Amino acid sequence: MNPSESNFDELKRLLKLKRHEVPPPGYFEQFSAKVLFRIRTGEAGGSHTLAEKLEVEAPWLLRVLQIFETKPGLVGAFATSLCLLLMLGVLASDHPDSISKDGILAGLPAESQETDVTSLSAPTTAAATTLAIADAAASESGIAVSTNLVTSLQPTATLFGQQNPLFQPASFAPAGQ
Amino acid sequence: MTEPATIPDATPPAGLLEGDLVRRARHGDLTAYDALVQRYQERIYATIYHMTANHEDASDLAQESFIKAFSALKSFKGGSSFYTWLYRIAVNKTLNFLKQRKNKYHLSLDDLDANAEHDPDLVALISDKTPQRAASLSELQNKLNEALLKLSETHRTVVVLHDVQGVSHEEIAEIVGCNVGTVRSRLFYARQQLQGYLAEYLNPT
Repeated sequence: MNPSESNFDELKRLLKLKRHEVPPPGYFEQFSAKVLFRIRTGEAGGSHTLAEKLEVEAPWLLRVLQIFETKPGLVGAFATSLCLLLMLGVLASDHPDSISKDGILAGLPAESQETDVTSLSAPTTAAATTLAIADAAASESGIAVSTNLVTSLQPTATLFGQQNPLFQPASFAPAGQ
Repeated sequence: MTEPATIPDATPPAGLLEGDLVRRARHGDLTAYDALVQRYQERIYATIYHMTANHEDASDLAQESFIKAFSALKSFKGGSSFYTWLYRIAVNKTLNFLKQRKNKYHLSLDDLDANAEHDPDLVALISDKTPQRAASLSELQNKLNEALLKLSETHRTVVVLHDVQGVSHEEIAEIVGCNVGTVRSRLFYARQQLQGYLAEYLNPT
């Protein structure tokens, strides 16, 4: 026997007393009938709390929560790592170009970088072609179409009589007017 | 609570294997589930009772555990034995209950059976203390339950499952959801604590 086990022989003998504790006579004769009665009256299909559902369907998640409960330090570490991830995400979204050029293409050789940059600009060329075709079609029908950006740096009036330096409404005036 | 109605057309599926009973119960066969309840009711009740030291609470929680197990049978994949799975439900339910109850304990102990007075191990523990054996046993019972309630829920669970219920370390690990090493260390620590609380009864001089 393990020496540490033998140290507790007397305690184990005392704990045997618990095995002699029994419920009132006849208790178990009624027990299963009570359980089945409650099942038949619909308790089994009743609403369960989230914790109860987790207990059965995702006991691992409950264990994680229990670990968090017993070790608050872990909660702090988890929260810190989440914050760091969030900050990294925010920084990445602020500088998408630097990430795509410096981050993704940094490791590639110069030739392949050129190829990639060309391929990245392809959609822009395609968009310009589409606009030119649309412009030609509009001229034929007598409507002038501006391909200028809707936003411009020319100032325009605002509701409050002040000049808005950034925005100007788009104009679709017919040709010749 | 309302008295239960008698079970109609219950043909006890005697001799059926546990797997067959579980399969039938999963399809809503209450007769099969009745057989499963009868098979495990004493062990489940006893485990909960020893963790709560309260008969009424144990009775409610044991019933609720079986009801919950029935409603969750569809999610029972069979990865562990039904008995371990049922134990896990009962233990988790009891731990949740104890957390809600916090430290407000109210002892409502079951009586000792007649065999306790004749158990040589127990007789040896009390014979020198008092000539009134029954009174001494009941005092010992109170002290033992109070000492168990001083343990944390997780330590109490391990002691109850192993030293009182006789569940193996491996099964406890599966029930509680930790590794065997943790079970052993919790058991050692819990026994040490108990030995301290019950020192005067363990070393009668």
